[in-house]
Amino acid sequence: MTMIFEATKLSCIRQQRILFSDVSFRLEKGGLLLVQGSNGSGKSSLLRILCGIATPYSGDIHWTPQHMHYIGHTNGIKLGLTVLENMRLFAALIQQPHDETMPVLTQLELHPYQHRLAKHLSAGQKRRLALAKLLLFPKPLWILDEPLTALDAHSQRIFLSALETHLKNGGMAIVSSHHAFTLNDVKIQTLTLGEYSPC
Amino acid sequence: MLTSFNHLLYTELLLLVRRSQDWLYPLGFFVVVLCVFPLAFTPDPLFLEKYIPGCIWIAALFANVLAIETIFYTDLEDGHLEQLLLSEVPLTFLLLAKLAAQWIATSLPLIILTPLIGLLFHLPGNVMVAMCVGLLLGTPILTLIGSLCVALTLGLQQQGVLLGLLILPLVTPVLIFGVNIAQQAQAHFSIIGASAFLAGLLVLAVTLLPWAIAATLRVSLDD
Repeated sequence: MTMIFEATKLSCIRQQRILFSDVSFRLEKGGLLLVQGSNGSGKSSLLRILCGIATPYSGDIHWTPQHMHYIGHTNGIKLGLTVLENMRLFAALIQQPHDETMPVLTQLELHPYQHRLAKHLSAGQKRRLALAKLLLFPKPLWILDEPLTALDAHSQRIFLSALETHLKNGGMAIVSSHHAFTLNDVKIQTLTLGEYSPC
Repeated sequence: MLTSFNHLLYTELLLLVRRSQDWLYPLGFFVVVLCVFPLAFTPDPLFLEKYIPGCIWIAALFANVLAIETIFYTDLEDGHLEQLLLSEVPLTFLLLAKLAAQWIATSLPLIILTPLIGLLFHLPGNVMVAMCVGLLLGTPILTLIGSLCVALTLGLQQQGVLLGLLILPLVTPVLIFGVNIAQQAQAHFSIIGASAFLAGLLVLAVTLLPWAIAATLRVSLDD
């Protein structure tokens, strides 16, 4: 398997309006693509297209959908399940054993809440629980929609260091964010949406 | 893959047990509607004995439509549906687990309650058995067709009434053969013929509809 994520000439039309067109990029091992743009510029739509949930109006993507994690602006966790049960559900959907749950929970500082229902967690804790699967089940590509939302400064640092380790180990990431962040030794490509005039 | 199926089935059942309104309200609706029928008709036992099997079917149908409405709602809200779509396990397989859990939580209690309802209306034993066989074969079809319609209308506001309009015409064959089973039993004929028809419909629905539901969900989420 070649470890290159390639998108060519992607365009997206929503409600008779061109959100973006001719978006092309190429991501190699250890690369990070930062998608920026104002509200409504199509960041989430682009990420949904990249992970294969939505189809682009035109353009091609070269990647295997199974080799990635996607976390949208909804967290993708079940609020009626406890933290541990959510982890087990992740494992069942990814078809991997869940042996190393505790270290990850400790790393994300969720271990005191492992038997608490997810709906009783705060917004930031829910976000951290959603991010837990990134650390639990290694996959070469992370596609994250605003991962820093609702996280406090401390959790943001934990997440960024995890992202750094992931990239250093040869992973790739496509992240949309309003927050500017810096990572050591990582070449960040930036893609800015919203520079296309509506027709 | 089988462990994923089992785990999802367990998880869905756990969620349904914790969110009891999803299955308790339709069950309550079923009982209340059946108790209203004698008030609207006549409390004559002979009349009720003849017509209550049809009423049970209609009440079961409405209870099913009520219960199915929310099947994908929370999954859509919390983004779980997207994760199911992206999972390595085929979506059809995951949906089969979800639908099985939905049926166990919403229709099985109704079938278990049916003999009790039959007792209330002095139904003879063989008719009660026929009713249970009919519901056992018919309600999975209702759940499958219902969830296909929910998947079609996903993302629409006020899908409730539209759902009724979509589902009810599609399930008429189930109603016809289901009531037919009870009528055969009332006339002391064999119920095997009508049951075989319903079982055939069930096999057709179970083999084809999960694929259709999975495809529809993908289309509905593609926006």
